[in-house]
Amino acid sequence: MDGPVAGSVTGTELHFDSDASKVEVGYCRGTPPCRFLSTCDGLPVGLADAETIFALSSGHGRCGVAVVRASGPASATALRCMAGLSRSLPPPRTALLRSITDSQSKEVLDRGLVFWFPAPHSFTGEDSVEFHIHGGPAVITAVLQALGSVPGMRPAEAGEFTRRAFQAGKLDLTEVEGLGDLIHAETEAQRRQALRQMSGELGHLYQDWTHKLKRCLAHVEAFIDFSEDELIEDGVLNQVDRWVCDLQAEMEQHLKDERRGERLRSGVQVVIAGATNAGKSSLLNTLCQRPAAIVSPIAGTTRDIVETALDIGGFPVLLSDTAGLRESQDLVEREGVRRARERVEQADLTLVVVDCAHLPSDAQQAAAFLQEHLRSVLPTQEQPETVFAADRFLLLLNKTDLLPEEQRQKLDRELRRVSGFPPVCLISCHTNEGLQDFLTVLHSSVKTLCGDPLSGAPTLTQARHRAHLQQCFAALAQYQRYRDIDLALAAEGVRLALTSLGRITGRVGAEEILDIIFKDFCIGK
Amino acid sequence: MLTKKLPPLNSFLSLVSRRASHVTRQQYDVIVVGGGHAGTEAAAAAARVGAKTLLVSQKIQTIGALSCNPSLGGVGKGQLVREVDALDGLCGRAGDWAGIHFSILNRSKGPAVWGPRAQLDRQRYREFIQSELLSTPRLTVLEGSVEELLVSETNPEQPGHHRVTGILLANGSHPVSASSVILTTGTFLSGSLFIGQSTSPGGRIGDAPSSSGLSHTLKERLGLRVGRLRTGTPPRILRDSVDFSLAVVQPPDGHPTPFSFLNTRTHCKPEEQLPCHLTYTTPGVERVVKDSLHLNCHIQEDAKGPRYCPSIESRVLRFPGRRHQVWLEPEGLTSDLLYPQGLSMTMPPDVQLSLIRQIPALHRAKIHTHGYGVQYDFVCPTQLSPALQVKNTQGLFLAGQINGTTGYEEAAAQGLWAGVNAARCALSMPTVSLSRTESYIGVLIDDLVSRGVTEPYRMFTSRAEFRTALRPDNADMRLTLKGFEEVGCVSTLRYQEAVRVRDSLQDAQATLQALSLSSNSWKKQLPDIQISEVKNTVMTGMEVLQYNNVSFEMLASAFPESLSRHMEFSQRLKIEAVYRPHCNLQKKEIERIQKEENLLLPHDMDYLSLPVSMSQEVREILDRVRPSTLGAATRLQGITPAAIVHLLNYVRSAELRERRKHRKQQKEEREEELCAAKASLP
Repeated sequence: MDGPVAGSVTGTELHFDSDASKVEVGYCRGTPPCRFLSTCDGLPVGLADAETIFALSSGHGRCGVAVVRASGPASATALRCMAGLSRSLPPPRTALLRSITDSQSKEVLDRGLVFWFPAPHSFTGEDSVEFHIHGGPAVITAVLQALGSVPGMRPAEAGEFTRRAFQAGKLDLTEVEGLGDLIHAETEAQRRQALRQMSGELGHLYQDWTHKLKRCLAHVEAFIDFSEDELIEDGVLNQVDRWVCDLQAEMEQHLKDERRGERLRSGVQVVIAGATNAGKSSLLNTLCQRPAAIVSPIAGTTRDIVETALDIGGFPVLLSDTAGLRESQDLVEREGVRRARERVEQADLTLVVVDCAHLPSDAQQAAAFLQEHLRSVLPTQEQPETVFAADRFLLLLNKTDLLPEEQRQKLDRELRRVSGFPPVCLISCHTNEGLQDFLTVLHSSVKTLCGDPLSGAPTLTQARHRAHLQQCFAALAQYQRYRDIDLALAAEGVRLALTSLGRITGRVGAEEILDIIFKDFCIGK
Repeated sequence: MLTKKLPPLNSFLSLVSRRASHVTRQQYDVIVVGGGHAGTEAAAAAARVGAKTLLVSQKIQTIGALSCNPSLGGVGKGQLVREVDALDGLCGRAGDWAGIHFSILNRSKGPAVWGPRAQLDRQRYREFIQSELLSTPRLTVLEGSVEELLVSETNPEQPGHHRVTGILLANGSHPVSASSVILTTGTFLSGSLFIGQSTSPGGRIGDAPSSSGLSHTLKERLGLRVGRLRTGTPPRILRDSVDFSLAVVQPPDGHPTPFSFLNTRTHCKPEEQLPCHLTYTTPGVERVVKDSLHLNCHIQEDAKGPRYCPSIESRVLRFPGRRHQVWLEPEGLTSDLLYPQGLSMTMPPDVQLSLIRQIPALHRAKIHTHGYGVQYDFVCPTQLSPALQVKNTQGLFLAGQINGTTGYEEAAAQGLWAGVNAARCALSMPTVSLSRTESYIGVLIDDLVSRGVTEPYRMFTSRAEFRTALRPDNADMRLTLKGFEEVGCVSTLRYQEAVRVRDSLQDAQATLQALSLSSNSWKKQLPDIQISEVKNTVMTGMEVLQYNNVSFEMLASAFPESLSRHMEFSQRLKIEAVYRPHCNLQKKEIERIQKEENLLLPHDMDYLSLPVSMSQEVREILDRVRPSTLGAATRLQGITPAAIVHLLNYVRSAELRERRKHRKQQKEEREEELCAAKASLP
């Protein structure tokens, strides 16, 4: 047991629906890792690295289980507040099934396994935790973002985990051979991604901020280093005050944009919900043009969530089919219904599917029936009015091929007349009737959710960016706080802000600041 | 210290020349070539460390001369002076002895960026330095010109590697041998002087040019890459010819603050200090510059001048249509000359006169000595280790302008550090380096050796990323203890004082920390202070002292029995309290850097054929710069994280192989001994 290693995902079977909440994970290795890496003071290098880092350590893209890992002294805190463990930590290296929540908003993000690896018996040699969560991009993003809001945590740089493990002597020589290449690949992927992002509107926005911050810092530094000997124009600092104020306002606005950008990156979460046998799975299959879900006339065929990634008019969509909502005695089906309801709570857009054949023939009665039905599908704590206004729902009346033409038109007119309804589409997954219109409506909803990258404000695309931006924003407050008390500490605030933003747009060195100083001021002494 | 009488200069000279007759027959540990700021600090430091040291200077008289401006310190530079002093160097105490106008710059901007500065009396400064050198044990001073630097033939096992063996003096029949040689030749390496259209060889007006042998050895035999830089100095003006009524008086601080941690007052009495004067250029100055450009060789040459100490020519050409400041600085208590800071110029003498007369206060000024420009070679400092030793030449150290820096303080700092390491090297002790996390000297040297220079390098506080921790007030706590315990360049006297200060500060901080009261009680104790904490929070004295308008004096008068005995350190305690939270935040980053700096990269690593996967581009950067630690490599531009891991891996496995080999050897030896022991048994 002396050799905890990286392979915790591959070496372990995870059962999310298992009643046993503890799973012992076997870390058995033939030879203990080589521990030749120690600094002059005899401590392993990685051990005293005081920053706590986190990252998704399973691959990107669709996967059943994603592993999010954190390493460093704040790991225990992160585990406590996100897995709701107020008192004790779980036994080391033992799986525990917990709800994973955002420590600030108290929102439940996922339910998954958590692991606690106290130092030195962890991959990095530091205190570490792992969250094994569902593999949907939205869940991953949410968990990463929640981790980022825990004090003392920051997103890891490319290869940082492996490097810490390496420095702590936790990798043997053969493992280390491939490490550089691995980090190279990771760095390359990040670079390509950064390039893609930086060429867009968002990139321009960040570059613009970096430029402004550099100028702020250069002017404060010029004032510190040269104003005693040189003619530094009056009001240099007042100008910086204004720039800092503007930047703060812009960043605050940007950070408040309700995660639209992250959706752009991970895909909009669209959930199909409704009663059993309404044709939800048929809709999924129709949309993804393949039999992704099993379809049968038997009610309750779909029990777990079936996910598929789609491209709707150029926007990434993560479409989930859920179990039909009904009371059931079947344990498995009950769990499926619970998950379906949970998923609806978390969804960006819910497609409520109703079987036309179940509607009363009278159009007015049908409207009342649908209103009632929507209430039963919707999350209990949400008021339908506000929900409908938020464009988070589409009502799909399926199996229109089973309805007489006249009745269909009446129904359509009636539903358009009644206020407080979500957009309604009449479709038939059987004949594809109305499908084109539905796609148009869906496209426009998805587009609204994503925010149009070509027009409108650029939005955030990564939890990482958000974390750095928040640090940047906070650091600017330090400038304001010390502006009139201690200019060295105020400048430190601007410098920290620039460092944080530089983690997105690239590091800014002292020389670059000096370049601006000498361009903007005549320094003669 | 300040009350001591300086020995008359002529006795110093006679003593030196008497020693000179024995010089050539002797063997030294360290030879320092050059007697400027770098050379004098280097010689004194080497002797303090314990090396038998010889300082060779062309002219004994010019040892400790201020070649350019008559001032010391400033923003960033003042920090360097404090650090040199904390390591028991000369310039801080010399400044206190020679200063005639003291001021703390940036007084309103926070203690981390305060810049202690003084105008100096040139003669007093020189006298102090010469007197110090004279009284330094193990140090010999010799007037002479160095003809040649002596190096060994390259070692066949390490092609391109040399070892210093000594120097050859002009007219000297025998070489003077030494284990270490420090070159501090300033602007004299292939130096040329410029006035108007005439040029002549030399590094300073009035001094002979240095031998071309030195330059030849560095470039041709050792194959060192050199670059060319330029600088200049303004004309000196007769004080009587200046119309001070047209300039603004700049008074000194009422209470002069000494540079040195050992001094509580300066030699010059507060009321004896002299003022400076401030005046401005006019459009007429710009016209004269533009009209005389064709007569100005220096300004047309393409050697790189500094952006921050440019000649008046570059200033008006780069920023036309503006008025520029000119400071009129006294050259000494009794000197009849003024130094016009900001008017460095290289035009012909008659044009210099018409230029300065365009300035209101100088409308009838007379020039005593004309301004001139200097162009000189510098050795690209990336060829040095952090000990300032030339990487391919064992025992050869470089310091000062020869490394591409500008300024007295930068030179002094390098000189001291080169002196320390040259001595340690000669005495078979390992070299030492200072981290950029603990000192401006460390920032300076790290910037030089890992990034190199493209223009004369000057210190700014913005170069130090841990500026809030590297303050002028705490240089002794950062360096004096280490200087004594690890480096060996600090006297016992100074060390004892630093220990006393440390203990007192710790004691006072512990007392403040233990002084823990509810915020309500604090409000009662200090009714004038707005304590914004919520009710009934317990606050320590240290926390209360962080408040902007709370001084240690206030706390001491509220709690006299526990705090009044610490009044000596009231200012330092206040600064500590304000900065400590910020320094704690930086600690993580500092620790990370220090760890990476602890990982040494072998200086003879063959990066071009290292058996790891690394791009050619990365290999070439590493090969060119040859970073001495992993930390330095990380800071290089163009080095990828992957390359760092490969390097780390390679070095670590090399160490491991070495250790295994060593263990195996030991085992074999033990076995042999065992066999031998068995065999010897009857």
